[in-house]
Amino acid sequence: MKNYWVLPVILIFSACLACKDQGNKNIAPKAKKITSFKPLIQKELSEKEKLSEYEFFKLPLANLEPTGRVLLYDLNTPLFSNYAFKKRFVYLPDSTKISYKNKGVMDFENGSVLIKNFYYPKDFRKPDQEKIIIETRLLIKENDLWKPLNYVWNTEQTDATLNYVGKEEQIHWTDNTGKKRAVSYTVPNLNQCKNCHLNGKKITPIGPTAAQWNKTYALALTDKNQLDYFNEKGILEKVVEPALRPKMPVWNDALLPVDHRAKAYLDANCAHCHNVEGSAKNSGLYLSYTQQDSRKRGVFKPPVAAGKGSGDLVYDIVPGHPEESILIYRMKSNDPSIRMPEIGRSVTHKEGLDLLQEYITTLAQSN
Amino acid sequence: MKKIIIILGVTLLLLILFKTVESDFPEYNPNRSYVDLEEEILEAFILAKDSATIELPEGHFLFSQALSIDGKKHITIKGKGMDKTILSFKGQTKGAEGVLVTNCTNFTIENLSIEDAAGDNLKISESEDVTIRNIRSAWTGGVSTQNGAYGIYPVLTTNLLIEGCEAIGASDAGIYVGQSSNVVIRNNKAFYNVAGVESENSSAVEIYNNEIYENTGGLLIFNLPKLTVYGKNVKAYNNRIYNNNLKNFSVKGSIVSGVPKGTGVIIMATQEVDFHNNTVKDHATSNLSIVSYLVFAADEDPEAQLDQSIQDRGIRAVESDYESDTEYNAYPGKISINNNTFDNKFWFPTFSNEYGWLMLFKNKMKIPDIAYDGILPEGASLQDSEHKICIGDNGVFNFVFMDAANEFKYFSNEVTPYLCSLN
Repeated sequence: MKNYWVLPVILIFSACLACKDQGNKNIAPKAKKITSFKPLIQKELSEKEKLSEYEFFKLPLANLEPTGRVLLYDLNTPLFSNYAFKKRFVYLPDSTKISYKNKGVMDFENGSVLIKNFYYPKDFRKPDQEKIIIETRLLIKENDLWKPLNYVWNTEQTDATLNYVGKEEQIHWTDNTGKKRAVSYTVPNLNQCKNCHLNGKKITPIGPTAAQWNKTYALALTDKNQLDYFNEKGILEKVVEPALRPKMPVWNDALLPVDHRAKAYLDANCAHCHNVEGSAKNSGLYLSYTQQDSRKRGVFKPPVAAGKGSGDLVYDIVPGHPEESILIYRMKSNDPSIRMPEIGRSVTHKEGLDLLQEYITTLAQSN
Repeated sequence: MKKIIIILGVTLLLLILFKTVESDFPEYNPNRSYVDLEEEILEAFILAKDSATIELPEGHFLFSQALSIDGKKHITIKGKGMDKTILSFKGQTKGAEGVLVTNCTNFTIENLSIEDAAGDNLKISESEDVTIRNIRSAWTGGVSTQNGAYGIYPVLTTNLLIEGCEAIGASDAGIYVGQSSNVVIRNNKAFYNVAGVESENSSAVEIYNNEIYENTGGLLIFNLPKLTVYGKNVKAYNNRIYNNNLKNFSVKGSIVSGVPKGTGVIIMATQEVDFHNNTVKDHATSNLSIVSYLVFAADEDPEAQLDQSIQDRGIRAVESDYESDTEYNAYPGKISINNNTFDNKFWFPTFSNEYGWLMLFKNKMKIPDIAYDGILPEGASLQDSEHKICIGDNGVFNFVFMDAANEFKYFSNEVTPYLCSLN
């Protein structure tokens, strides 16, 4: 009988819960699917409907075995995309070549196509066995402009169909430690391609730079460098001698210094927007590998227009204090209005986060 | 039995107390029954060719992602009315904005509502010749820090008209025009936002016939450092700005988190502002304030002690900030306040911020109708041509010269030095 005081406490508590519940704005309500009576706009499209029409790959398509003028390539440090694997190819029309550039994306001739396949092995410990391919993204160079197109694979894995509006898919896999994982994978819509690929007002590729290509070629039997391999194949010209080539560190190569790896990671995952020409130029946070100014890299830099993305923190990076750094807060979050990168990620990249936390912790020691 | 009654009584009392503490915030709860036409509408936005008109039907449409349009000309997006065509982004999982328009020319959006985006409801960036007409931007439910930042948010845009719109529940600003030029904001309503209407770093702006009420702060005319462009030449007239006493629910660290509740108008660090024929009334902190960036940023922490808030922390931090920006002018000037009507239903200033306390002690407990911080850059003097504040005929009003630069030493109600006209 003495415990009557519990009653008001419980009542108050439940009142609190009720008001909290009301305050949760992140849950989507139900909506009934409908179709419109008349089309909202007139469509006139001339793009290929199926991926197979390009004849980039031999049949069966899902083996991703390239045909004649299609070449596999690889990058030192790729963008994290919800743990998806990526297989990249470049298609070059007859008698065309890529022109080497020390800085920025290399020069491709009209008709060139960059082909990027996103897939998940069922078991990450056996990456060459059973897999599910989700999408194949193309960047096609036409009239000196790059055009993005996206093809989404069918469940039978026999072909992929042109998609403009994006798609959401539930993906399951077993990770390297044998743990079952799942992610809600988002195929971007056509406008979202620009979110990363816009430089100034033009769409550009991001990956094919000398620094990213400067690595051992994946498929060659020898230890040949990728740049040399393409050069010898006669499809890459004007290559400079090895000593003069820039090289992007491999983000997860434990033999390399942490700050080099962290900067490479930030370059690949952030700098496509966070550069002076990119869509995040107004933020003043510039994360290209070559950026030297530590304030522009975020050290003791207050946010410009982060809104609630700041998480009530004051600086992008506080050396020695990853927990006080907005950069870490946004890498950790999966909330669409907080997380960074804004798109292309719906789960936290734990390994990337670990690296950046280590980097910020060690920044204090080096100061 | 007696015990139970007492306990129930106490519970009730606590509940009532709890309710009065917690229910400061108003709610906006329209009836909604959502339908999903996401793919079709999204496809229309993405594939629309130049000169297309997208006519959206009646209905409450729910989206899981932003609707974006980039790099197009002469696009019109039309609904059947702001009560009929509702675009809701409640619980969206992709993208932060509701409707996002970038790099467009001759863009019109009209007659619909945009609700509950994770970030900004309607953002228009780097565009030209833009019309936003009869759009309601709202966050539903009780107002909350979880609400998105900006309701109607054109930025880096030239030739812009915002008319007949309503902005509700933004955790930053309801109608926010940033870094834009040639702007007209007219016949709009803004309520339940932290800032009702804000003109930030914009030039050639006309703000008239708007009704701005029940926000934390009504109308903000701001110039902030370290942005791509700076604003000047803002005219605000025939607006009704009243009862903006809502508790500040913005995110800590945002510039509007420094706006004290009960603020009608703030003119901050902006040159050439013509404020006339407005009605500004019923604000518990101040009807209209003219301040530099320094005093404003110093107010970041409302709990801070009066004496140290402006002198110690704030100013130093701010100085280092704006001085590195050589393009930026942190002080207001060439301001005209004429023919307005000021009034107040409140008898005492609010005690919820240091301005209220300052007025309590220094201003005979009156709430100022026009307050001027009086902070000037080095080498400048009060009322020199660059920092002139001209107050014309505004009926009966309480004027305050705060002398914030000298710890309010020469705090004064003397308006005579400011009776002038700019022309």
